[in-house]
Amino acid sequence: MKVALSVFKDSISTVFDVSQQLLVLEINGAGEQKRTMVKLETIDPIRRASQLSEEGINVLICGAISMPMQASVSARNILVYPFVRGKVEDVISAYRYGKLGQAVYALPGCRRRGYGGSRGRNRGAHHRWRG
Amino acid sequence: MKSEKPAKLKEIYSSDEQNIILDSIADGVFTVGKDWHITSFNRAAEEITKVSRKEAVGQLCKDVLKADVCESNCCLRATMKTGKPIVNKKVHIIDAEGRKIPISISTALLRDSKGKLLGAVETFRDISVEEDLRKAIHAKYSFTDIISKNHRILQLFDILPDIATSGSTVLIEGESGTGKELFARAIHNLSPRKKQPFVAVNCSALPDTLLESELFGYKAGAFTDARKDKPGRFRLAENGTLFLDEIGEITPSMQVKLLRVLQEKTYEPLGATESLKHNVRIITATNKNLDELVRDGSFREDLYYRINVFKISLPPLRERMEDIPLLIDHFITRFNTLQKKNIQGVSEEAMSVLMSYNYPGNIRELANIIERAFILCKGGLIEKKNLPENIFILKPDHDENEVVSLRDAEAGYLLKALKQNNWDRLKTARQLGMHKSTLYRKIKSFGIKLPS
Repeated sequence: MKVALSVFKDSISTVFDVSQQLLVLEINGAGEQKRTMVKLETIDPIRRASQLSEEGINVLICGAISMPMQASVSARNILVYPFVRGKVEDVISAYRYGKLGQAVYALPGCRRRGYGGSRGRNRGAHHRWRG
Repeated sequence: MKSEKPAKLKEIYSSDEQNIILDSIADGVFTVGKDWHITSFNRAAEEITKVSRKEAVGQLCKDVLKADVCESNCCLRATMKTGKPIVNKKVHIIDAEGRKIPISISTALLRDSKGKLLGAVETFRDISVEEDLRKAIHAKYSFTDIISKNHRILQLFDILPDIATSGSTVLIEGESGTGKELFARAIHNLSPRKKQPFVAVNCSALPDTLLESELFGYKAGAFTDARKDKPGRFRLAENGTLFLDEIGEITPSMQVKLLRVLQEKTYEPLGATESLKHNVRIITATNKNLDELVRDGSFREDLYYRINVFKISLPPLRERMEDIPLLIDHFITRFNTLQKKNIQGVSEEAMSVLMSYNYPGNIRELANIIERAFILCKGGLIEKKNLPENIFILKPDHDENEVVSLRDAEAGYLLKALKQNNWDRLKTARQLGMHKSTLYRKIKSFGIKLPS
């Protein structure tokens, strides 16, 4: 499974629609296997979603994301954790232990739209990180 | 202690006064300290960002504003660095509900009476209306202007870039009001031709002879009053896209001419002796079923195959009911800004009526219903009484004389009840007097798709 975090320096990038880098974690039953940085090539929602799909991303953890962008990413069967903030390592740890729903990881005023906020076909789905 | 209390009170009063003053300003205003944490946040800022003052104060400004420039080209940072104000810079923010909003921002430094730097102030105003008008004038629509969470539309979004870059002829089928031109413009604006013209022609609006001169142009002297050359739409769309709407309405003789233009990539203006080559991408649209027109012989089969390289079928609104709340929300936001009103939304009863109507006029009709409600509704929520009478009549989805199976009738009845109850399954089960698990089982067995 591949989990992508949209990052800026050592934090989650504030706005996914214009963010430029992804930190991709490859995870299997034994835990985290590999980390790679991926440059996002375009800000066009369809092409951006298409790039995520080509990279084989299963889960996207990101900051603010516009509705069309989220719809486009979700349409590729990618589970989106939107409106997340925090230091990258803290967010990875929170995801690992199922604590992304805590207020400290939600952008101000966005808690309702935060945790597991991917609307549509992925609603309710949750990829567990074991190991 | 004695001297501290009045000082503290003075501070509180002064802070309250400040808030009152800031709240009276129509533009969003917030201030930050030198560490980028928000120190004040006015009411307009709350409305634009959908973040309350309580949640905003004390937070980093980038986490609250969520602007596309926060990380790459922060305006406040630039002002703090250079001391120079920034005036009316256009940026986009994402509000707490995921809406992308264009705003115009201005920044300035904040100093105390002795000139000591305290931080900076940012004022911003929502320019959605101006942007909407600009888009309408320049028709720069992209697929992000298409509001939908319907799976069929989302599937289209997936393939739209490939269709756009292919350069092939596209046929868009869909009922009137489903957004065919919006899709055509989105394809053009995603294609390599996006900087070239997009020219739209409604084929049903003109008689044959006029349509010919309109499409291909004419030479001086081609007919009486043709005093000088007039370029046709093909010429005007050179290197760009020509959108032929209502293609199903053109006459057989025009079909032949168009077929030749598509096959040979040349056309002849009226009165010209030589053919002109063209480099125009054709997108056609129709609200008819061209397959049927071909079968009954009123549309040429060879032209049909020529324009139908890629076909997009847009679902009518009644087949994407899950989009109705989204679209209503969009139209309410638009009319609130255009008409300077503050309608909060739609009441539950009114929403039930809107969800149970079958919209023969599709999205255009829904927009008109909301616009009409804006005339009658002075504020608060749009109520049932603000809706036109004709939408209260439940139209049968099939001919009443047509005999349907018991299973189909039950499925239709269930669907109607679900729509009336705004897809609330518990309410529907209660209304129908059945247990919720029986309802769930029936929904599954009839294959009824519920909006997510």
